[in-house]
Amino acid sequence: MKLQYTGEEKIPVAPPAVWAFVSDAEKVARCLPDVVEVAVKDPTHVDTVVQVAVGPVRGKFKMAMELMPDPARQRIEMKVSGGGFGSAVDLKAGADAVDAGDGTTLLKWSGEAEVRGPVAAVGGRVLDAQAHKVIAQAFANVRQTLIDLNPGGTPGAQGQPA
Amino acid sequence: MSIESKPRHSVGKAMKRKEDPRFLQGKGNYVDDLKVPGMLYLSLARSPYPHAEIKNIDISEAMKVPGVKAVIIGKDLEAAGLGWLPTFHGFDKQMVLAIGKVLFQYQEVAAVFAESRAAAEDGAEAVQVDYAPLPVVADPFASKTDQVLLRPDRDSKTNHIFHWEVGNKDGTERALASSAKKIKQRIWFQRCHPAPLEPCGCVAWFDTMGRLQFHVTSQAPHVYRTALALVTGIAEDKIHVVSPDIGGGFGNKVPVYPGYVCAIVGALKIGRPVKWIETRTENLTSTGFARDYHMDVEIGATPDGRVTALHVATTADHGAFDAAADPSKYPAGIFGIVTGSYDFPVAHAEVDAYFTNKAPGGIAYRCSFRVTEASYAIERGMDILADELGMDAVELRQKNFVKKDQFPYPSALGFTYDSGDYHNTLGVALEKVGYKALLKEQAERRAKGELMGIGFSTFTEVVGAGPSKHFDILGIKMFDSAEIRIHPTGAGIVRAGTKSQGQGHETTWAQIVAEELGLDPQTIMVEEGDTDTAPYGLGTYASRSTPVAGAAITMAARRVREKARKIAAHLLEVGEGDVEWVDYKFQVKGVPAKTVTMKEVAFAAYTNMATNEPGLEATYYYDPPNMTYPCGAYVAVVDIDRETGEVKVRRFLAVDDCGVVINPMVVEGQIHGGLTEGFAMAYMQEIQYDAEGNHLNTNFADYLVPTSAETPRWETANTVTPSPHHPMGAKGVGESPNVGSPAAFVNAVIDALSPLGIRHLDMPVNRDKVWRAIRDAEAGKTGAAVFA
Repeated sequence: MKLQYTGEEKIPVAPPAVWAFVSDAEKVARCLPDVVEVAVKDPTHVDTVVQVAVGPVRGKFKMAMELMPDPARQRIEMKVSGGGFGSAVDLKAGADAVDAGDGTTLLKWSGEAEVRGPVAAVGGRVLDAQAHKVIAQAFANVRQTLIDLNPGGTPGAQGQPA
Repeated sequence: MSIESKPRHSVGKAMKRKEDPRFLQGKGNYVDDLKVPGMLYLSLARSPYPHAEIKNIDISEAMKVPGVKAVIIGKDLEAAGLGWLPTFHGFDKQMVLAIGKVLFQYQEVAAVFAESRAAAEDGAEAVQVDYAPLPVVADPFASKTDQVLLRPDRDSKTNHIFHWEVGNKDGTERALASSAKKIKQRIWFQRCHPAPLEPCGCVAWFDTMGRLQFHVTSQAPHVYRTALALVTGIAEDKIHVVSPDIGGGFGNKVPVYPGYVCAIVGALKIGRPVKWIETRTENLTSTGFARDYHMDVEIGATPDGRVTALHVATTADHGAFDAAADPSKYPAGIFGIVTGSYDFPVAHAEVDAYFTNKAPGGIAYRCSFRVTEASYAIERGMDILADELGMDAVELRQKNFVKKDQFPYPSALGFTYDSGDYHNTLGVALEKVGYKALLKEQAERRAKGELMGIGFSTFTEVVGAGPSKHFDILGIKMFDSAEIRIHPTGAGIVRAGTKSQGQGHETTWAQIVAEELGLDPQTIMVEEGDTDTAPYGLGTYASRSTPVAGAAITMAARRVREKARKIAAHLLEVGEGDVEWVDYKFQVKGVPAKTVTMKEVAFAAYTNMATNEPGLEATYYYDPPNMTYPCGAYVAVVDIDRETGEVKVRRFLAVDDCGVVINPMVVEGQIHGGLTEGFAMAYMQEIQYDAEGNHLNTNFADYLVPTSAETPRWETANTVTPSPHHPMGAKGVGESPNVGSPAAFVNAVIDALSPLGIRHLDMPVNRDKVWRAIRDAEAGKTGAAVFA
């Protein structure tokens, strides 16, 4: 089952801080909803275990994540592959950290996933909505974590003292 | 009940099934009921990918799961020479566990053996496989291009499996070219699954004598024994196969599956019994599917509706391995029956089969090797021709039926139909359904814009494989067998090489013996499914039990009777030539008062046999001289809701001719079951794969099985034209309703939609498809969207 997603998150944090965050594989991995384990292999590779629940299918997925940051374009490419309980997921996603010009950052993301096995078959009717929710939640977590790390916002951001 | 038969001593009577009390009380003995001390459980890790290279399999995490005793992968089996198993018709082989790559989603990759089923399943989930996805071919027409070679293991570097043809190609082409009227239609019989209530499973262990004890859900236990001996190298006398009660087979339990081989290997390797029972999802995704034939049907005719030629070119999707359980000379089964009940002067049929990244199969789902596909093609084709000619579909059929006086009828595609009276069978159907009144009502409803349809199917089956000169499995000729022992008190036992999966053999076989010997059928025990005791037989599928084993039982009983005649002569104190069998007793010729019963003879066979050999038993191996040709006339009446597309089957009448009826109640039950399956295929069922090869119907929420709420009320009737070569005149009926009914259901829907210009829809004609067709037709898109 092929799934495609796009979205964007406005983050009240300046682009350099956002970029530093999203190009750190461990930090991104910890923003995955229901993440159970994160094992860092190197700065761009982490192995994660995620609790998955799609309809009646519930269990743990082991996922290998690879980040491919492109600082020149302020774009991060991500490849995630793995699976569990007889199912497999292959995800390719990309995110652009766009300077909004007011000290904030627009994180524009898109992704394409292929899901196979019982998760796709049994959870088929709810998979699309559920996957969209999970991905949106992951980026919302990125946003919230950045806000938490920068409680006063980034100096220079709109509405913040320079 | 309306299946009628002329009652005799035992045959023809609606005797209640002897096996039902234990089933109705939940006392059946199924494979999963068997528990052997020390038994382990097997679970199979399966591929989520439909086509992928296997880079690595890591079993270390699986071995850490508490209770897991062993894990076997394809390389282990390959090293032991058990990596592949032959498919039943002998032209291909199938991986037991994936070696090098996987070829369909849910393919078996690793076997995990554990102390409990839960531990085995946890272990299977813990097997880590590193896959590198490969391009997927999920469509047989894409497979034709050979852009992606699916089976590099084969010598032939193509996805094309075989080309098979029969008939007069040039003559058919010429006749079609010169025909005044022609139709051509692609008709797809979708991929279906038999979905028996009980999935497949086995228990395997080696006993203290080192003998393999193998209890399995098999429709053909003797063939399994031989196949296991050939695959494993275990001497055949060291293999004991037992098929206990089976909860439905429908062809799904004919092939040997990888789980069986893994269970035996596990039992051998670990030294403990192993049970494997598949889940519903495993059954639907990896065991033998049926159909998946794309049939291009061309029929030529004269302007007044006389058929001139038939050509059918089929593209067959066989999945990842050619595991169709067809006889070796017939890779497309008995598809040559596609001329049906009609007197085609010339015909040609051809089938090309291709590999795809789907589960293997092509089994005979309640039909005699591709007969359902053939029947559906010709019966839909005749309706389309009727539409083209502007003729009533009934009139067209009657005009082209093989006539009663043409039997034995040599068909254009090489069969010799043994008997039938198609005009009579259809005539009974027309009268019972009230065809004239229905036509009048339909005209009135159409005038009001309502959608009412009347659909016919006047099919001819070919069953009872087979004459051994034509039919075999793995080279083993398709005869069948029976052994009868009559005990001193006149009770007895009959053993047969068949295996009932719900057909009622325990009753029907007893009735045949009782009929031939004048005994009480209640005291004739029937035993099947144990290769240590039953004579060698090819099993139960393809409607062959009554035509072949039923004949063997009859002939064995007659051998018993011949021996009994000698003892009767001794008891009657006359010469053997003076004894005749009259009214189910031995009688001195011309002296009706001087008789002796079979029961008395049986006692004498053990107590007063004089110079005769003691005992009263016989064995018979029956090799039929021809197949049998049951037929039927089915009528469906449907109403379609124009707004929602919902199809309601208002009436369905099945008039069957299965020759002499042994037990009308059993026949009635068989017809009800087969019609329900036909209804499901026509309106509900399809095994679907998406373009990426993902299986989309892995459970009964997605692959629909009708309940009593959806199932229409069935009306039945019958005519009787006895088979001239079967010793009882019987022809078999188990598969007729499954073979004949899909076309009647679909023809009725298309008839209802025909005022909208709709000529064909592929099955399943469910509400969504019908609704879309109506909307397209109303929007003027019918030609593009609906005509294929």
